[in-house]
Amino acid sequence: MPSIVKRMRALRAQLLAVRLGPGAAILPPEVTRIHMNFAIGVEDGHYGSRKFWRNCLPRLKYHNPAIPMTVSRTADQLGPALMTVHFISAAEAASTKPEISSTTSKHTSTGPVPESKAGSSTQRTETINMKHREESEILEQLLKLTRAKVVTPTPEETRQIREMEEQNARSARDAAMMQAENAKRKREEEILRQARGTIDTN
Amino acid sequence: MSTARPCLAQLSRICLYSNRPGITSVPARSLSTTAAVAARGPNAPKILSKADKGLRKASTNPQKNKKKGEEVKKKKKARTAYKQYDQRELEQFTLLDAMRYIRAFEVGQKPTSVKYEMAVRFKSQKNGPVVRNRLRLPHPVKTDVRICVICPPDSKYAEQAKSAGASLVGEEEIFEAVKDGKIEFDRCICQTDSLDKMNKAGLGRVLGPRGLMPSTKLGTVVKDPAAVLKDLVGGAEYRERMGVVRMAIGQLGFTPEEMQRNIKTFIDHIKKDLAHLSDRINKELSEVVLSSTNSPGFPLSGQFTKLDSSITSRDLSTS
Repeated sequence: MPSIVKRMRALRAQLLAVRLGPGAAILPPEVTRIHMNFAIGVEDGHYGSRKFWRNCLPRLKYHNPAIPMTVSRTADQLGPALMTVHFISAAEAASTKPEISSTTSKHTSTGPVPESKAGSSTQRTETINMKHREESEILEQLLKLTRAKVVTPTPEETRQIREMEEQNARSARDAAMMQAENAKRKREEEILRQARGTIDTN
Repeated sequence: MSTARPCLAQLSRICLYSNRPGITSVPARSLSTTAAVAARGPNAPKILSKADKGLRKASTNPQKNKKKGEEVKKKKKARTAYKQYDQRELEQFTLLDAMRYIRAFEVGQKPTSVKYEMAVRFKSQKNGPVVRNRLRLPHPVKTDVRICVICPPDSKYAEQAKSAGASLVGEEEIFEAVKDGKIEFDRCICQTDSLDKMNKAGLGRVLGPRGLMPSTKLGTVVKDPAAVLKDLVGGAEYRERMGVVRMAIGQLGFTPEEMQRNIKTFIDHIKKDLAHLSDRINKELSEVVLSSTNSPGFPLSGQFTKLDSSITSRDLSTS
């Protein structure tokens, strides 16, 4: 394991990135499930959906840990890229709790979760077409559809972000300095080596 | 000597320019140092080769630097214990917090293919015995282990082993297959009576590096393979490497309570191992880190949740 300071600095940066940024939003309790369905490759407009999955979905999941978010990717590159959002009524949302599922129990499927699994508690579903859309457009549509509350950084987090930026600026400056220094050293060594080489052959 | 110096310097300069006419800004200082080194007459090649060695380490004045480097080397002593860092910098997480982050990092992955992993770091010497054992977690992570049992194929042990879930049973066929490089199992057990045959077959060269070679020390040479098989299916092995024990501890789909039970069992088991080591060896736990296939590592504080925490374990129990 590398040293603790190094590890913690990297960890803090990663955690800040998963707490804040595009996609950091709290969904209303009516949303019960989000399912994304798109192709494995990026051709034919599946680029944005993958980007959304990689970049925005972790933040959504962090702020809404109880909402199942599933991704199923097909080999069919020409097929649709759809996001399905499942809703229930506000009254029901207050009374029902999410179903507990664990992979230790036998009836959980190992593959991608089938569409019908969330059937019982879902009242209506809305779909968002993600094909040929940028990740920011997909996010915008999702936030508008669900009326989610966007998370803003707390003062503590703003301070952390500022600290991190200062640190990055410092390390970039140091790296540039060391690079110049090393280049200079290498150049001088090279010249020395060449001069010696020619003498040896004589 | 004094006559040789200007002559050689001139010579080297001529050679340089004839070889590489493109170089325009050759610093005069570097050239003159070369010339000085070269001008030592008959000793020249020997000194040069040494200087070349020193040059690899660093910088414009090889002889001076070489001396310095040697001094540093003499002073430096090899460390006998693994390096410990100041734990005050360590940020610790409760299990629920760590799991919340990990589940966010692993969003959209298949819940059975992604594994929680645990790394336990010791305060320990570099030499001496290592912690190494096998345990059975309350909720096994991997249930499809392929096990090979070495015993005569027509004995009663073979039948028992097969019924207990061994994927390969036999003697000569297995030896042949292994020698051909076909290793279609993850664990290997040997029946006591077949041990001599196995040792004669010379499997050690193939199985040894993979850690599959049965030996009495590890408890993989036994009288009754069927009994051990039951432990092995769903059991997991761990061993200390570089002062750290790493093991898969759960699937992404596990609930926090299941993870808690698994982690508790694992840590208790390790503590027992540490207590069983001889008195002179002093090993202590220094850090427990939870991570997963695609997430960073989270040092655990040992608590399940904080009092003022906004999330409940139920929130993290959904698929």
